[in-house]
Amino acid sequence: MHQQTVEQAMHAGVSTTAVAVTKLTKRFPGVIALNEVSFDVRMGEVHAVVGENGAGKSTLIKAITGVEQPDAGHIEIFGRSVDGQNATARRAEGVTAIYQELTTVPAMSATANVFLDQPLHKAFFLRRRPMRRAFVDLSSRLGVTIDPDQRGGMLSISDQQMIEIMRALIARHRILIMDEPTAALGPTERVKLFEVIAELRRQGTAIIYISHDLDEVIRISDRISVMRNGSFVATDAKSAWTKDRMVRSMLGQTQSRSQRSREPGYDEPILVADRLTVPGRFRDLSFSVRHGEIFGVAGLVGSGRTELLRAVAGAQPDASGRIMIDGAFRSLPRKITEGLHLGIAYVPEDRKAHGLVPLLSGTRNVVLTDLRRVATAGIVQPQKCRELAEAATGPLGFDRRRLEVPVRTLSGGNQQKLVVGKWLHRKSKILLLDEPTRGIDVGAKAELYAAIRRLADEGLSVVLVSSELEEVVQQADRIAVLARGGLVATLEHRDASVERILELIFSVEGQG
Amino acid sequence: MTILNLERNNDLADPVPVERNPGQTIARFLEQYGVGVIAVILVAIVAVGNPAFLSFINIANMLSQWAPAGLMAIGMTYVIIAGGFDLSIAAVFSFSAVVAAAVGQQQSFVLALAAAVVAGAFVGVVNAGLIARFNINPFITTVGTGFIVTGITFVFTKNAAFIVDNVDFGIIGAGRWHGVPYSGMLLILLLVVAGLLLSRTIYGHVVYAVGGNIEASRFSGLRVPLIVGSTYVLLGALTGIAGFISASQLTSAQANMDPNILFDVLTIVIVGGTPLGGGVGSIGRTAIGLLLIATITNGFVLLDINPFYQNIIKGVLIVGALVLDSILKRVTRAV
Repeated sequence: MHQQTVEQAMHAGVSTTAVAVTKLTKRFPGVIALNEVSFDVRMGEVHAVVGENGAGKSTLIKAITGVEQPDAGHIEIFGRSVDGQNATARRAEGVTAIYQELTTVPAMSATANVFLDQPLHKAFFLRRRPMRRAFVDLSSRLGVTIDPDQRGGMLSISDQQMIEIMRALIARHRILIMDEPTAALGPTERVKLFEVIAELRRQGTAIIYISHDLDEVIRISDRISVMRNGSFVATDAKSAWTKDRMVRSMLGQTQSRSQRSREPGYDEPILVADRLTVPGRFRDLSFSVRHGEIFGVAGLVGSGRTELLRAVAGAQPDASGRIMIDGAFRSLPRKITEGLHLGIAYVPEDRKAHGLVPLLSGTRNVVLTDLRRVATAGIVQPQKCRELAEAATGPLGFDRRRLEVPVRTLSGGNQQKLVVGKWLHRKSKILLLDEPTRGIDVGAKAELYAAIRRLADEGLSVVLVSSELEEVVQQADRIAVLARGGLVATLEHRDASVERILELIFSVEGQG
Repeated sequence: MTILNLERNNDLADPVPVERNPGQTIARFLEQYGVGVIAVILVAIVAVGNPAFLSFINIANMLSQWAPAGLMAIGMTYVIIAGGFDLSIAAVFSFSAVVAAAVGQQQSFVLALAAAVVAGAFVGVVNAGLIARFNINPFITTVGTGFIVTGITFVFTKNAAFIVDNVDFGIIGAGRWHGVPYSGMLLILLLVVAGLLLSRTIYGHVVYAVGGNIEASRFSGLRVPLIVGSTYVLLGALTGIAGFISASQLTSAQANMDPNILFDVLTIVIVGGTPLGGGVGSIGRTAIGLLLIATITNGFVLLDINPFYQNIIKGVLIVGALVLDSILKRVTRAV
């Protein structure tokens, strides 16, 4: 039905513009987040918006959904002005958004989380069975297996991301806005999501798609717009774009790429892991990490990448096996404090939940990993805090003027720099990085990896886990490929490519 | 690369300290010191209504009267900032007062004080163990331990008052140096020390961190159970001192000393500006809360206000302070 009306409308030459934004302006104290922005998206179109952190993408979305009211300009939805209408009214018009922040309610079931704001009901009673059925249908469409009764808090980050997507899909969505929907997803889940997006597009849904992954943007969108400093720099059909042109438009100049600067020295390994086992994830995994190398770990979601890092860090209580560090074998650390004591620092994946104390300033977050360095006789020296926090975050390109504001108010990219910076503050021998670039833009990524390479050149050993296989391939000196609960291969940098890794993974995953 | 960095500094989503207009500055000031402003206004009203309010003798009396609740409020501030809560303190207060009196009947007041502190700290250790080690909800845990402690105190005293004849025993509670009560001096001293401990030391920093995000603190390598637990022990010990002072002031103690003290303490801390939930607050705010509550209570007496209206006014002031705080927060964030 719906599809027919769309096609009819298209044939009849009726305007098919779903959202039209004209000269939208939004100011925040000291900054202009949106500067006379004009933008539109048509029915049955995927319009991607890319730009650096803080370019104004999120503000644009919030203005369209009605969460933020603009200072000037107009918004029309299906040709009708919605200026001044609130978020609820616009939702009724079919404007649905998937925001970047995960909003799973920990104590509620996966099903209840999907139907959080629009439960199926008959009078006052919830209709549990239909909700469950819808959940199962939807998850099979998305190719995920999430237990409908699992509590939200027990779900992995990628499953939580799927819950957000499912929540939007059950809503009345004539206009669907997706902000970084794939940041937490693995390659297979992404492919499924793209299929769903293609289907929605055929049905006539207008989709605004925001992502830092430029390959993905080129792959799925019809038109692409680049935002910089609160303005649209360019809007063009997909065919007119290349990745390089996008990056240049985003940064306003050619990107400087972080390069591997030397072959790692083949000295003694600094860390040897011997027959590590985490029940349900992997068994008898052994590998070694050398001085001053970046050691990548590649695998699909659920391959145990995160658990591997956590086991070495002392954050995975059910792990068994032993490690050699400082030339002697010992049991795995049982607590994070123990790991830190051995010189192993773990930068966790979920910066909101595990990385930062949101109400405290950047400085206080950074110095938290080693307060003794900023204190004399137990008294914390504010001057020293500032100096050392600047020293730890400066190389990552963090603006030191932002060190004193609560980290809650910072953008994702800046928060991530602080998360990495706080573990650089604590001098350690081995840095375990779990998804260090999740949800941050290309410029910030380049700065982060350049800084990590410099530290590796100075002798720090880094273990890097990322669902962005391309990043692992680019950055790591050696790559361990995990699949089906074991180590499939360890590739040298020169032999590694995304295709080679996927080939290895699927050759093993494919068996039975 | 330099151009890139310059752009980064203009990152639009994130606030850098910028100049604010006067309205925001005032709102921000009130958000930080709003309760203090209210306290000063109230002090002025009461002082105008009855000049005796600001007399040396009245201030000295107020200090002495509020020393026990003030000491406990210091400890409660630590517990709440660390993300916890303690409902057992009224029971611990009576318990340690009784312990102090029992020891004080036979021994010197120094030993009595030490015994009260140990008794209070012991309950703190039990609370800490249950909450931090076994990860049990602090509300329920401390209701439970509170019942147990109250029960033990009744069994021990057989519901009789312990009267202490020993003259020395009353020194700390009722004694004065040139008119200044020792208990009041102790309160001010401990407010200053606890304030510095919280704002300037490693220990203070980690208390804010665990209250602000317990998981991030664990991943940062902090000993979370020890830090959280220590705040309950500190509160227990301070409640022990409070119990001793109260017993010393009355030269007697019983199982049911002052059931309202729990609510006084919580009111002081929360109205002062240390919200439940953790990660935020300070001893300075608690000191202001103490000033506010003490002024209201004393003002009722000095201004001869009908006791029936006292509770209404007290309630309105407490709720009003919190509503004002919430409004100011919205004003300072929205713009």
